[in-house]
Amino acid sequence: MQNENAIQTINLTKTFKSKIQTSETKFFRRKTVSVNAIDNLNLEIKKGELFGLLGPNGAGKTTLVKMLCTLLPPDSGTALINGYDIVKEQMKVKRSLGTLFSVGERGFFWRLNGYRNLEFYASIYNVPRRKRHERILEVLKLVGLENNYFQLYQKYSGGMKRKLALARTLLPDPPIIMLDEPTTGLDAISSRNIRDFVKSTVQETGKTVLYTTHYIEEAAQICSKIAILKQGQIVACDTPNALRDKIKKSELIDLIVEEVSPAQIENMRSIQGVIDITEKNGEDLMPNQKGLSVELQSVDQLPSIFDFLFEQKIRLVNFKRNEPSLEDAFIELTKRA
Amino acid sequence: MGIGAELEKIWYFMKRDMVSFSTYKTNILILIFTAVFGALSFAYLGQSSVNQTVTQLYHTNYTTYLLIGLAFNTYLGQALTLVQKTINPWSLEEVLVSPTGLSTFIIGSSIWGFVWSTGVVAIYLAIGVYFFGVILSVNIAGALIVLALGIGTFIGISMIGSGILILTKQGDPVTALMTIAITLFGNVLFPPQVLPIPLRIIAYVTPPYYFMTCIKQMLTGSTIAMILPNLEILALMCAIIVPLGYVIYAWCLKTARKNGTLSWF
Repeated sequence: MQNENAIQTINLTKTFKSKIQTSETKFFRRKTVSVNAIDNLNLEIKKGELFGLLGPNGAGKTTLVKMLCTLLPPDSGTALINGYDIVKEQMKVKRSLGTLFSVGERGFFWRLNGYRNLEFYASIYNVPRRKRHERILEVLKLVGLENNYFQLYQKYSGGMKRKLALARTLLPDPPIIMLDEPTTGLDAISSRNIRDFVKSTVQETGKTVLYTTHYIEEAAQICSKIAILKQGQIVACDTPNALRDKIKKSELIDLIVEEVSPAQIENMRSIQGVIDITEKNGEDLMPNQKGLSVELQSVDQLPSIFDFLFEQKIRLVNFKRNEPSLEDAFIELTKRA
Repeated sequence: MGIGAELEKIWYFMKRDMVSFSTYKTNILILIFTAVFGALSFAYLGQSSVNQTVTQLYHTNYTTYLLIGLAFNTYLGQALTLVQKTINPWSLEEVLVSPTGLSTFIIGSSIWGFVWSTGVVAIYLAIGVYFFGVILSVNIAGALIVLALGIGTFIGISMIGSGILILTKQGDPVTALMTIAITLFGNVLFPPQVLPIPLRIIAYVTPPYYFMTCIKQMLTGSTIAMILPNLEILALMCAIIVPLGYVIYAWCLKTARKNGTLSWF
């Protein structure tokens, strides 16, 4: 049976040892400490999925990316990329992958233009010679650099450099792409362009993308599934909505109503499923209006609230369902772990 | 702000550099070593016995001897530092994630340096011949053989040095020692025969001496048969050092990757 997973990690572990100074005054007094950068990690990313890897700084995102692209050997466990083992079948893994590292300008030659830089990488990524020119122009167009490819790399802006790095990643047309914090340090427009590009690439070509970021809403916007990494371990892995639901203990509804009496609010509290009602004051409320924040056990109790308002002839002016943000989920889930 | 505050800032600048420098212990040793041996080499240049020995051994004048030495010294310098230049940590990572083998990477990254050095050697020799009356009698086949063996040997040494540099991050003792060996014992500025016997022995066990002796003879009218004993030693050194360099470089690279320190510099 063909493997459905583009990326699969099996008990993947990486520990780093480092020396730390133990005395402020004695420079040579040091001790060795071990840090579990990736701790027994099991992860499955399906083919064609745009998978987000979310985590605070130092969570192990870059270490994981470096292990998957064969730069860092694991201490134990392994991972399969396109069905190939990262330890035993490194060349096949490299042929299946395109990796964009968090510092986009690495490895480019500043005194060459964009085209010549890509020409070099096309050769080391085995892009056939007769297709090389065509492919370089194709990827430059894809990332929006078709008018700048004869410009020297040193004259590129930060956004253009990142786009060229993205073009290099796409050059060998790999089935799997790993993008390590591709929008770090970019302005809002460049970041959005890259996100839109990544999303459309997945939709149009069916490539698998592993997208690491510490920008929560960025992951929520484009990823179909997100894993939250903390201290080298996955603390949650699901769709963005399911992750929000994981931290949702109750349903919060904001209402603006007209001509409601304190007695009616008290009666509303007794409706089955209502946990609490708090009155809210707002500058945008008219004198006859009142803001209510209703906490329900679940969204199923919502019709009872509407029935009550109808029966009591209370006019509903505005209604808003309050969803926890993915940021709330991220903070809560990383705190719990 | 007073002068005291400015002096304190200067102290902190120096302290920052001193602490940073002190973390590269291998480099400190190498710098001290290079300074001591560098001074020695120039001390021998002024001796009158140098001219006499050159005429006896190479049947040519000192200008020709020195010019060939300096010209091919650029080759050795290039070969010694070539692999090091390729280990820019970020470029290295970008290449290592591509489906390109280590040997292709090393050879590919080295080739332009040699093309350039060949041009430099040609300019040196042309200037010598046209302006300083240098007389060359080149054995082309022999010179090419010596060059190939020399380049191979020095790339091997460069791989050992670069491998160590990947681990130590600054300070490569092999390249530093070899640079001293070239200057003092390498038959570049003066024949090692003018040195005291203990130092002469060092010359006879290091590759620069054999390379420089053979190439000088190949450019001053000797035949391959005449340089065969030295050529055989150079060939043997090449046969040992090239695979050894590759194994050490690959091992150091593997260790740095395992420790996650490849991009630390």
